[in-house]
Amino acid sequence: MSVRKGLTSLVGVSLLLAVLAHFNTSLGVAPYLLVLATSVLFWVIQATSWNILSGYAGYFSFGQAAYVGIGAYAVAVLTGRHGVSYPVSIVVGGLLGALLALITGAIAFRLGSLRGEIFALLTLAVPFILAAFVRINRDIDGGLGTTLPLPAFPDWIGDFQHLIFLLMLAAATLAVGTALAVQRSRLGRGLSAIHDNEDAAEVLGVPTFRYKMIAIVLSGALGGLGGALLAVRNGAVQPELVFTLTVPLFVIVMAVLGGRRHWAGPVVGAAFVTVLQDELAAQKLDQWGNIILGGVLVVFVVAAPDGLFGRLRARPWLTVGVFVPVLAGLVLSGQYTELDALLYAMVAAIVVAVVVDRLRPVAASHPVPSRTTAAGTPPAVRTAPPPLSAPQPDSGRDLVAVAGLIRDFGGVRALDDVSLSVGQGEIVGLVGPNGSGKTTLVNLLSGALPPSAGTIAIDGRATVGLAPHKVAHTGVARTYQIPKPFASMTVLDNVAMAVMFGRTGASLPAARRAAADHLATVRLEHLAGQLPAALNLHQRQLLEMARAIAAEPVVLLLDEALAGLNPAEIDDAVAVIRRIHEGGISIIIVEHLLRVLNQLATRIVVLDRGVLIADGEPATVLNDPAVVRAYLGRQRA
Amino acid sequence: MTAVQAALSGALIGGLYALMAAGLSVTWGTLRVINLAHFGLILVGAYLSYQLTSAWGIDPMLTLLVSAPALFVVGAGLQWAYDRFNIVEFNSLLVSFGLLMIIIEVSTQVWTADFRHIDAGANPYGTSALHLGPIALPVSRLVALGFALLLMGGGHLVLERTFAGRGLRAFAQDRTVAASFGIDHRRLGLVVGGLAGVSAAVAGMVFALGNTIAPAHAYEWFGTVFAVVILGGIGNLLGSLFAGLGVGAFSAVVAVLWDPSYEPFVLFLAIILALVLRPQGLFTRRAAA
Amino acid sequence: MLEVRGVDARYGDAQALWDVALDVGAAETVCIVGPNGAGKTTLVQTIAGLHRAAAGTITVAGVDVATLPGHRVCDHGVATVPEGRRVFGHMSVRDNLLLGAYRRPARAVHRETEARVYELFPRLKERSGQQAGSLSGGEQQMLALGRALMALPRLLLLDEPSLGLAPVIVDEVFDAIAAVNATGVSVLLVEQDVERALSAASRGYLLIEGRIVASGTTSELRSSADVRERVLGM
Repeated sequence: MSVRKGLTSLVGVSLLLAVLAHFNTSLGVAPYLLVLATSVLFWVIQATSWNILSGYAGYFSFGQAAYVGIGAYAVAVLTGRHGVSYPVSIVVGGLLGALLALITGAIAFRLGSLRGEIFALLTLAVPFILAAFVRINRDIDGGLGTTLPLPAFPDWIGDFQHLIFLLMLAAATLAVGTALAVQRSRLGRGLSAIHDNEDAAEVLGVPTFRYKMIAIVLSGALGGLGGALLAVRNGAVQPELVFTLTVPLFVIVMAVLGGRRHWAGPVVGAAFVTVLQDELAAQKLDQWGNIILGGVLVVFVVAAPDGLFGRLRARPWLTVGVFVPVLAGLVLSGQYTELDALLYAMVAAIVVAVVVDRLRPVAASHPVPSRTTAAGTPPAVRTAPPPLSAPQPDSGRDLVAVAGLIRDFGGVRALDDVSLSVGQGEIVGLVGPNGSGKTTLVNLLSGALPPSAGTIAIDGRATVGLAPHKVAHTGVARTYQIPKPFASMTVLDNVAMAVMFGRTGASLPAARRAAADHLATVRLEHLAGQLPAALNLHQRQLLEMARAIAAEPVVLLLDEALAGLNPAEIDDAVAVIRRIHEGGISIIIVEHLLRVLNQLATRIVVLDRGVLIADGEPATVLNDPAVVRAYLGRQRA
Repeated sequence: MTAVQAALSGALIGGLYALMAAGLSVTWGTLRVINLAHFGLILVGAYLSYQLTSAWGIDPMLTLLVSAPALFVVGAGLQWAYDRFNIVEFNSLLVSFGLLMIIIEVSTQVWTADFRHIDAGANPYGTSALHLGPIALPVSRLVALGFALLLMGGGHLVLERTFAGRGLRAFAQDRTVAASFGIDHRRLGLVVGGLAGVSAAVAGMVFALGNTIAPAHAYEWFGTVFAVVILGGIGNLLGSLFAGLGVGAFSAVVAVLWDPSYEPFVLFLAIILALVLRPQGLFTRRAAA
Repeated sequence: MLEVRGVDARYGDAQALWDVALDVGAAETVCIVGPNGAGKTTLVQTIAGLHRAAAGTITVAGVDVATLPGHRVCDHGVATVPEGRRVFGHMSVRDNLLLGAYRRPARAVHRETEARVYELFPRLKERSGQQAGSLSGGEQQMLALGRALMALPRLLLLDEPSLGLAPVIVDEVFDAIAAVNATGVSVLLVEQDVERALSAASRGYLLIEGRIVASGTTSELRSSADVRERVLGM
């Protein structure tokens, strides 16, 4: 389903709901259902707003109440105390939410270590600071909260309930539409990659900082907008009611319950939790609400962290088949109110979906659907793979030029004055004992670490000081010794990510087509539709290589890409590396197995305790007495 | 003079923050569990002290004889569950957030949302103050500081000087190597979780001495206490103690010299600056890795 | 002292060891040589109980330790000097040593053992109050060795003790290993510096791609074609 089609259906559903609500009395729908629906929509906005950052990118926020509060107070102060018109104050509420998010993100996302946890705790503090500020600065709301005038609106809308329903519906449509468009866009794929493995994402060219900032600002804007509408609905604003921890509890439970990796997850969760909450209130059990929700959160995080939506969607007919008859049966029996019937039908559908999933998991128990071309790949004939930076005539130019490179860790010098150049068409073997600085050199070349001193140029462009994704765009790609695939994406999409965010970039469909070719290069095309968890070590390492070449690098860094493989797999991998090389990519390979290097390398560079001790033809280097001593065993003097 | 008075009495409040931070900091630093439910335990500790004092008319400090063992069991039980289901770091934040909600709601049902306070007759520490010349120091806050020094100083010594403490620190740095020297993380974890529960009982009792108690307080402690944990260096008890005193004094001085309304902002700004400049905490010595 | 029979080890679906069998006698020094990536470190970790063996038995002084949890294996007299030293960098030198004596029997006599370790490595005594992370590589290796000795081992597992150290320091480390061995402690030495390993040990095993492919006295191994070709590269 394309974004356009998705958005069209969403707007269609919204219009239908608007029409139904407009004629609610003639349709026999009780007015309190309209009130309930308005609540549901408010929580859809909030849970969706939360999910755009915290669900998609995995940066958990406890600060949703800050957006709700700042939006509500924008309306309370501007309209309630200064008489500004509602449309203006509502928009300002959204903008202030975005501004707050911008500030929070600019601070929190600069932090390197413990980033997820510190972010969560920072966001926990923000609503309290704002609440304290409002409480102390009495002139903001007069100290007792602010009451708002009834907005003026044309008669055809109906009563105030209709008006606020329509406003919430419009905002919820905007929120869900945004979440849907984000999920299916470059941004959404990037956020998903950040969620799975932020370092690998950055190295593949995903501008992680910028994407996280965009996500948090969208989240803040939508949250603020929803908060502003909440103020309009309630007609009054008090700090205790908007800056409360119930808000993050609700949105987190809704998103965790519904599922965090899909735009529809929070919608499902919000509908269920709000109806449940309302039912508890009707039964005079509202004091149990937070206890039940707290329990749901604990149970779901432990037992089903990926939420309900994936399970419901895996068996749509079963879900509908349980929901509709139960709902109809209960309503027609006349023993239950519509609300009870609705809740029980939802519970029945959820229970059945969860139980069936426990008993007979769908092939990949993961909720992320494989929207790949696995089934529908056009066979055989395919356009030729994009030229992998065809060998250039001026092969005298250095693709990698490293001079005077030094890297210290604490007091230990891991690399000492290393200079090295790699030309077009070379395969350079990088060898040395454990701890000699090989992986450090790879990390410096890929930009994952800054050097303590020295210069690095890739294809003539200096890379020291660039963010890793910018370094990637100069033409370096790397693999990790321990493969770091994006766990939630299919094999094909793992590779497509690298194409999308690579040097040239591409739309997702084009990226998937190119990715299929790269998978063919490493002979993994038969696994395109699988999730990485289904691959063995050898296949995961081949996937690493496919992902690396998909970025269309000029230089590929292979960090112990053959470690842990058996001899047959090693021969297979060597063949793949040759094919990659024939595609016009120069290669630096870190490898212990000398017989592999004898087959592959055009040149060998030896590091020993951070110092480059030999550089030349494989045969010459491997017979150099200094190398034999350092690498193959020192003679006792 | 007002500034000195403010700084001193602020530092004393800081003793309470430090007590609250102690358990959080140690479980985070050593067991990698960020236990938001700890705030719930402090709340329960405060209510237990209130309840026992009101019911039996005993000295509030004696209530620890009941609340400390009770919360030891709860804390150890929580840690057992975290370990059993392998809930660490991120997930521990989520799960303990759910648990916190449950504790707060249950407390609300038992003790209502109204403000409760220990009856003045039963609370010899509530209103008295120690006068040093022109400076008045409320006794309840001196008690907080005393307990903070005792517990955190003692905890620090245990961590530094005993085999169990070394085992815990080693475990925090390298679980595999620690295990190879016979460190059983499950057993140590239960003890640490239980002791965090005890620290919550003490913090709750001390809070009840000088303040009214309501379930919503558990939320209000969040910001400051986490600031203390992070500023002090995660897992560093002495650091938390100094950070608590510093944060208390600093915000009190800002409130007096400037304007109370700036207090949360100045505090927050200080925390952010500290985080950005020294994310490992102000009081952490950083050796080469 | 140590009897390993039919041990397999795997990481997920990658198998690292196949049917490994080896013996270390009382007060013997035995080395395992082999190219990088052969599974030497996995073998050490499996014997130490830090990696669960997928199959086989590991008997230390008559007790099968293969199924014990990691923290119980040291109760049977096994102490490890891990690859890359892995001292506790944020703890003082003395605290690192005392941690080695964590289990009850060693704890009871930790003062005496500490004194003996300082005798063996006077430099550690000079630096006892310093943070372990600030020591040089050689000093850290001595600390890791001293820490293992504090556990009063009957079997010492050494994983790549020469890693990243200057030759003169490596000499010191190997002298210390010989001194420890002379006190009756059995030593299993894993080392990529084949020459040194063979001269320190009396017997050895050649581990290639997760399998033991040759064994014998060190002089037999030195002359073996396999070792010369596949490890020494001659």
